[in-house]
Amino acid sequence: MSRTSPDRVARATPGPVARRLTGLSDRAIAWIFVAPTIFLLLAINIFPLIWTLRLSFTNMRVNRPNEPVEWVGLRNYQRILNDSGIWETMQATAHFLFWTLALQILIGFTLAWLINRKFRGNDLWTTIIVLPMMLSPAVVGNFWTFLYQPQIGLFNYVVGFLSGADPSSFSMIADVRLAPWAIIIVDTWMWTPFVMLICLAGLRSIPESIYEAAECDRASKWRQFWTITVPMVLPFLMLAVLFRGIENFKMFDLVVQLTGGGPGNTTEVTSINLKREAFEKWRTGYSSAYAIILFVTVFGLASIYVKALNKVKSR
Amino acid sequence: MAEIELRGITRSFGAVTALQEVSLTVPDGAFVVLLGPTGAGKTTLLRMVSGLDRADAGQVLIDGQDLSRATPAQRNVAMVFQQYSLYPHLSVRENLAFPLKSPLLRTPKDEIARKVQEVAEVLQIAHKLDNKATALSGGEMQRVSIGRALVRQPSVYLMDEPLSSLDAKLRADLRIELKRIQQDLGATFLYVTHDQIEAMTMATHIGVLDHGRLVQFGPPREVYENPVSIYAASRLGQPRINLLPAGLFGAAPPGAATIGLRPEQIEQGEGSESTVRRVEHLGDQTRLHLRCQDHDLVTVTDAHTALQPGDSLRIRPKDPFYFDAAGARL
Repeated sequence: MSRTSPDRVARATPGPVARRLTGLSDRAIAWIFVAPTIFLLLAINIFPLIWTLRLSFTNMRVNRPNEPVEWVGLRNYQRILNDSGIWETMQATAHFLFWTLALQILIGFTLAWLINRKFRGNDLWTTIIVLPMMLSPAVVGNFWTFLYQPQIGLFNYVVGFLSGADPSSFSMIADVRLAPWAIIIVDTWMWTPFVMLICLAGLRSIPESIYEAAECDRASKWRQFWTITVPMVLPFLMLAVLFRGIENFKMFDLVVQLTGGGPGNTTEVTSINLKREAFEKWRTGYSSAYAIILFVTVFGLASIYVKALNKVKSR
Repeated sequence: MAEIELRGITRSFGAVTALQEVSLTVPDGAFVVLLGPTGAGKTTLLRMVSGLDRADAGQVLIDGQDLSRATPAQRNVAMVFQQYSLYPHLSVRENLAFPLKSPLLRTPKDEIARKVQEVAEVLQIAHKLDNKATALSGGEMQRVSIGRALVRQPSVYLMDEPLSSLDAKLRADLRIELKRIQQDLGATFLYVTHDQIEAMTMATHIGVLDHGRLVQFGPPREVYENPVSIYAASRLGQPRINLLPAGLFGAAPPGAATIGLRPEQIEQGEGSESTVRRVEHLGDQTRLHLRCQDHDLVTVTDAHTALQPGDSLRIRPKDPFYFDAAGARL
């Protein structure tokens, strides 16, 4: 066969281009093709990262351009790691992460499992369940603040109706103990569908014939669930955890809309805290160091996690 | 082991009737092969016996007990699926041990290990025991799938074309191996295939299925030597039975429309004139493609025949089969 595809490409290349390209090695041509992407990546990802790293060793403040910028070494890092306020926000973030992940996996998997039992109208149910995920976080935050209204909020009304308590006796957003849960509930409401979709993909990837084989091998439904369904969906589930974990570590929009970090600083997760340091207190050098620490944390956790995920997959 | 009895099994999928009033008895310790082309209802029948699918009408009896509504676990059947259906996240060893770990059996650990090893050796997969089930070739997967059935002692082994994806050598080995296992265990087998060699060599009984109907049931020799119809006669024999107009070789019984001639029913040397069109030397035999009064037929002759294409040869039928216009045997 003389008409292979490289041949056809060569024939179709216009003369001037072909002349310019001849003499270039395959490697060089490959570089030309990927160069635009690499350039973009460098400009919008790698460069800011390096710049931030550089700033984190200075005492720069962008709102005081006339002050001289001093090199302070690791002092920013020292101050952050010794700051009890920052450890509090870290704790708030961890608390938030743990509960959102736990609830979303539990509810998401259960929903997926229920939807996957073929019943009439399950496609319609899927669509309805997935709706919250498609809304803008700003909108979601806004209307949940209405739902959480002690006087007119539907949430308070329903809780009051079910528990018999006075709906206006508590405020999800203003109460120090309840505010973290207000955010956990909204995030779970909004993002459980995402976990459900991934779990559903996992469940649908298990061929029916495997369950039939298990049926013939005299495995009970319970044993089928634990020895077939769970292990085969596990890689999908872990992927969902990875996505949600990284997203929620950066959680910002819902919190801003609902509580703005309050009351006090009870719902001040790291991204809000960081934004305050950087753009309200304008401590640019300090917040750069803060950002680097968060970056290393997320990156480290995610790498360990991805390793574990690959292990599960190849098992 | 057990006797399986099917009574009037009927099953439709929408407008398609997959099985129509199938009744048959698989005697205890028998090796019953269901023969038929794709779509004849072989696999559906197997699923009826396994309990994975329920009949619209009819009964499934295992050892005289009506288990028509019972689950596969209650029926205690072992099934080998055509598409392997291994547990992809488990190793070969875990796949083989899976049925033994059923709480219904309470098999001790060392017993499980021993049985798995034993079966793996018979099926020549002992060296792959620690591989993941998905890291195997098609033939190995199918052997694991057979092994998963053989580790148990069910009431019946159900096998859906278990050898179809194996290469010729392995298929021949496993054919003998399966037959040996069946005889050693005195096991009851219900085995689906479209391979007539498997049917002839392993079966104690052959059931011929045609569009969901059981058209003939009996020992292989009987089905071969005494087929009830053109359809049943065409299932067995290689080269296939020659089907020609009934009057081609002179007088035919009244009502006969077709004469059926297996190679051994064609006597060479006398009778009608025919021309040799092609000579195929297969080593142990030679196939002759003949042309007789504008009709093609294939027969077998001596391995060292001197016949050449273009030669003429006289042939005549010997104890042929006659079929009526509907294809039924006269």
